[in-house]
Amino acid sequence: MSPTREAVSLPALLLTVAWLGGVRVTDRIGLVPPPLFALVLGLLLLGVLIKSGALAPDRLMHPSRSALANVNGLVVIAATFFASVQAFNLITPDAGLPHLLCNLFLFVLLLNTLAASPDRVRVLRSLLVIFGFAFVMKFIVLAALSDPAGGTLKRVLLVMLEGLTLGTLTQSPFHASTGYLAFFTIVIFMIALALLPSDGKFLMAKFVPRLERSRADDGDVIDRAEGR
Amino acid sequence: MGERTVRALGLVAALSYATFIAWLYVRQPQSIAEVTGGLSASIGAYHIDQQAFDDGLRFFRRDQFEEARAALARADPAQQDARTEFYLAYSYYRQGWGRLYQDDRLFARGLEHVKKAIALAPSGRLVVDDPDLQMRSADELKAELEAGLHADVSDLNPLRVFGHRK
Repeated sequence: MSPTREAVSLPALLLTVAWLGGVRVTDRIGLVPPPLFALVLGLLLLGVLIKSGALAPDRLMHPSRSALANVNGLVVIAATFFASVQAFNLITPDAGLPHLLCNLFLFVLLLNTLAASPDRVRVLRSLLVIFGFAFVMKFIVLAALSDPAGGTLKRVLLVMLEGLTLGTLTQSPFHASTGYLAFFTIVIFMIALALLPSDGKFLMAKFVPRLERSRADDGDVIDRAEGR
Repeated sequence: MGERTVRALGLVAALSYATFIAWLYVRQPQSIAEVTGGLSASIGAYHIDQQAFDDGLRFFRRDQFEEARAALARADPAQQDARTEFYLAYSYYRQGWGRLYQDDRLFARGLEHVKKAIALAPSGRLVVDDPDLQMRSADELKAELEAGLHADVSDLNPLRVFGHRK
């Protein structure tokens, strides 16, 4: 990994996520610090990233590296943790039943991912689905239900949720810009995760057997051509 | 640029950025003026517009509270000056005070400003040397505003009409 990516690009992207993850635009601009549970989820995500090889801490901090490089690595690891925490703070509904269910869902999902030990690519795809789904739930579905003015989507959802008390689902309404900002933040977060220094082991596990097969096939072709 | 230089500059930039973000979360500024004012106040380089402050004070003494608040807000756009916040709070107190009842909305706004004044003052102690005022410390003003917002049986005391505005 280049020093520019490690010392400049990654901290800038991850810290931007840590900043924007708490922004809520209502009648004023609020910066919401993460709830305690977001810290737990952030730590679990860090564990998932390390176990899957999406983040290789030994490529960021190692005795063979210089002290300055190790401090840069520490900044990246810390920024990854804070960005993860704020990303969860962003996608989790603020109150009520959706808050509880979403936290529980994310907790179980991360534990499950940790237990399954998928590789880097699968983890990144899985995170994209998790964050995309949570974004749609919070900023489109719940926002439509909580919109005091109402709209077509709210009417459709009300028909679908007939018989359910909406008091347990509705959230404090946001300004529309919060949703756009959240989308932008999640995109930055996913880019930053993809840029993290990864463990080369998953590449070896994936491509070395293919390479060996390909070499063996080449050998067969040569043998046949030489009439052996 | 050498690797060492890139790493050192990146580290300084990342730490500065992280400090700035932490500052934003603590101070919760609402405008660019508050951000720039807050940053310059943190290095002791912030000054209010004295002309606008004097205008505000003149309006305040004439009981022209709306005008006073407009001038005081202009004097301290970043809301970083404890004295200006104190006068803003006092203007809400004087405008909201009544013989029969207090205007809770104005008192609540006043309380917000006096709390901010206390938070901005060194060690939380603010005393304004102004002979026109009967409450010269932020603590007195805060207590008065809180008492005005608190509803109890003493509110029904008919002798309240003989009270006076401070």
